[in-house]
Amino acid sequence: MMSLLNGQIEPGRSTLFWIGFALVVSVAAALPFFIGRYALLNMNSFLLMTFLAMGLALLWGFGGILSLGQSAFLGLGGYAYGVIAINLADVAGQTGLALAGAVATAVAFAMILSWIIFYGRLRGVYVSIIMLVVTLLFETFLNQTAGPQWKIGEASLGGNNGLGRFSGAIQELPSLHLGWGENALALAGPSRSFYYVTLVLIVIVYLALRLLVNSRFGVALAAVREDPDRAEMLGYDVRLLQSVAFCIGAALAALSGILYVSWGNFITPSVFGVTSNILPVIWVAVAGRRSLLAAILGAVALQWGSQALALQGEYALVVQGALLVVAVLILPEGLISLGQMASQWSSRLSRRLAGPVANPGAKNAS
Amino acid sequence: MLDIFIFFYQYMDAFALLTLSAVGLMIIFGMMGVINMAHGELMMIGAFGAARSFHAGLPLPLALVAGGIAATVVGLVLERLVIRHLYGRLLYSLVATWGLSLILSQGALIVLGTSTPGIPSDFGNFEVGGLTFSVYRILLFVITVCVIAGLWALFRFTGFGLKARATMSNPDMARALGIDTKRIYMLTFGLGSFLAGFAGALFSLTAPIQPSFGASYTPIAFIVVVVAGSRNIILGLTMAALMLALVKTTFTINVNILGGYVAMLAAALLVIRFTPNGITEWLRQAQVLLRRLIADR
Repeated sequence: MMSLLNGQIEPGRSTLFWIGFALVVSVAAALPFFIGRYALLNMNSFLLMTFLAMGLALLWGFGGILSLGQSAFLGLGGYAYGVIAINLADVAGQTGLALAGAVATAVAFAMILSWIIFYGRLRGVYVSIIMLVVTLLFETFLNQTAGPQWKIGEASLGGNNGLGRFSGAIQELPSLHLGWGENALALAGPSRSFYYVTLVLIVIVYLALRLLVNSRFGVALAAVREDPDRAEMLGYDVRLLQSVAFCIGAALAALSGILYVSWGNFITPSVFGVTSNILPVIWVAVAGRRSLLAAILGAVALQWGSQALALQGEYALVVQGALLVVAVLILPEGLISLGQMASQWSSRLSRRLAGPVANPGAKNAS
Repeated sequence: MLDIFIFFYQYMDAFALLTLSAVGLMIIFGMMGVINMAHGELMMIGAFGAARSFHAGLPLPLALVAGGIAATVVGLVLERLVIRHLYGRLLYSLVATWGLSLILSQGALIVLGTSTPGIPSDFGNFEVGGLTFSVYRILLFVITVCVIAGLWALFRFTGFGLKARATMSNPDMARALGIDTKRIYMLTFGLGSFLAGFAGALFSLTAPIQPSFGASYTPIAFIVVVVAGSRNIILGLTMAALMLALVKTTFTINVNILGGYVAMLAAALLVIRFTPNGITEWLRQAQVLLRRLIADR
């Protein structure tokens, strides 16, 4: 188990790394006691997007598949959760079923797309732009569902006003509930329970994905990323590996979508739009797509930064677009590569300080 | 009889829409494999440029060309600053141009405002069987055919075309033979940008001009390019547009506009599911099969 956690693929293996990791988690756990209700509401909205970012990092950084339309699964998960929760809220009294149903919907859709994309042997930019077209069509479709004929049971799709209850005037979608009956804990936007549940989920998903990428599956996926044809020749089922990674990415995006609905109690077609799709790509590209931890930190830091910028004017998106271009040109592996360079330098430095005795053959080698 | 005329009118219109939306993207993709995500923003710049120069007193045909030139200038700057450094790294250029598109569309929002006065379309209408049809739509179709013919002649008969085709089929060999492939790539990117801007200028007579102008054309352009593949720019583009326009027209008439778009995407997915290298590869295979059949005779 430990050897899998500290495997070859995901960076960060030293004791120092794990001490730092524990430190960051403890600081994060203490944070709600030091910030106000509004800041907590914002923080929750940043945290819930980290699953989308981790899914994208898994696909792009570890699997070499760049999907420009991951928000298709986020939106699909959110909408499916809302529809099921509206229809079952009175019957079941809790939202676990809606959560499961929404993730299942997103994964099922990802399977269909996998059959077309990966079993059709599509690669590279084709996959990227097909996903973008898919998510934009979702947006177009849902924007024209304002009429009363667009309803699923009690739920009305509601066009660009967003999903809502068909009969009542109240538009609010139900939050996720932890537990049953009277004692159920509602995971609403500004609550500490939302914060802690999301934080625990992030740690669990991060460690689970670490295990996954360091497992035989992860190594095979990395082989596919480096050279799909060679991996195929070595006997790996490239189509299956890519499809499984794609479905995991879809499930994680759907989780973000479900938490998003639970957080804000609304969802509109704009979650499928271009902006919602480019932002996760920026977080992951700038922070470093070959690290799950970088994806988490990048998502939180850049969302926080862009919100701070947005208070100054309309330049937040321009700045983020520029960040993306600069990152691709100067740091193609993202900010994380700076850390890796630093650790390489420090190990080289310590080797040099230890003197030529530590590495006797090096000078005579030539 | 009227039904048939309506069908052909809409088919021509859809063909012009698909071809003009995609042609700039297709040239760049076919030549260097780069998907220019800022394509829609170049169209927007073309529309803005055309409208501004029209209101500054330029006659309409010149204003349309001015729109194309505005997009060319922006495209060449982007090529020099960003895209040139990413040739051969296709996913990187995809992501970088997406960042550029975000900068351009948001920048246009800040600099140019939410809307700009458009170009009035006073080409008038004509009447068939009690229904009116727009003359400009017919004109768009004629222009589309001219653009395709012009591109074909450019690639077939000029020195640039010869070098471009050589670069496309084998860049290393072309370089070894003394062709400055970087310059060819730059010129191609400029040509693609011009065509994007020109198309945007043409569409600016039919749609409101705003910073998100290009967003209504890029998904269509992506679908066309995916179906066309990168083997043969002009034939692929024409075949893909002819096929997708047929699907779009059929479903738009019988279902609705959204149905037309969904059917186009579905058709595109079906085509690439079974011919991953695009419609031209499929054509080539069909040709080989036909030859073999004839040879067997």
